[in-house]
Amino acid sequence: MAKTLEQFTTECTSELQAKRDSSDGIYKNVNNERLAINDSDFAQMVIDCANNKLDVQDNGYIKARQLAYASVQDQLDLQYWDSVNETTTWADHIAKVKSDNPKPS
Amino acid sequence: MAGSLIQVDTETVTSNVSSVSLTGVSTNDVYMIACSNIFFDSNDDMKIRFTVSGSADTSSNYDYAHRAMYNNATMGSTGAENQSSLDTNQSTGTSGTNSINLIMYLFNFNNSSEYSFVTYNNVHRASSNTRTGFFAGGGLLTEAQTTDGVHFFLGSGNNFANGTFTLYKIQS
Repeated sequence: MAKTLEQFTTECTSELQAKRDSSDGIYKNVNNERLAINDSDFAQMVIDCANNKLDVQDNGYIKARQLAYASVQDQLDLQYWDSVNETTTWADHIAKVKSDNPKPS
Repeated sequence: MAGSLIQVDTETVTSNVSSVSLTGVSTNDVYMIACSNIFFDSNDDMKIRFTVSGSADTSSNYDYAHRAMYNNATMGSTGAENQSSLDTNQSTGTSGTNSINLIMYLFNFNNSSEYSFVTYNNVHRASSNTRTGFFAGGGLLTEAQTTDGVHFFLGSGNNFANGTFTLYKIQS
């Protein structure tokens, strides 16, 4: 089930707070110095993390499909040979990309 | 006299940091940023914001467009407006063999009556699928204000583990 921005915010707050509290900490590089982040930096990290997770959840399938589709040239080649051989390789390819990267419900 | 590059700021990352800020734009010259051998502690996307008095402008006023080219996948164009940052690469990379190397030019940053613009060329390699990518594009912050640098961060809250970020003024 799809999560809300509020749920991702809670999730990111927990994850990042655990990282901040650990021995690793969370730092930033400013004036070529490695400094511990402040509360304002942390709050922005939570916002960015939550928005990023929401974007991946809602729109990640679009990018995944773009990367998975064969090139236009290759798809035209598939369509040509489908017309010659009376096969469905092009439609099968498109269907597989869609089923491998489903749109979230 | 021929123009020259004058180093303004350099940030060297050798231990994990969540963000890197390059600042020091203070004239109306064009500036250039060179980033080399950048990689993370976990796969992520590198994003940028412009800085105002040293702090990242987190408004949703960034517009961008870029062409994404890959060695083994369909090329694509991506663009968006009113974003909270600019996206510069596909998900990369946790070692020197999966790093980001980037050149970026900064325009109008010191001009308080114009928008701030960047163009960038970025070659990188994704860890998860060893996909080589090249992004060529640009973006802007649609606020007429003085900006003085660029803030680099990762979309999912991971860390930069390595990299050198250098800001140069292109002295005309």
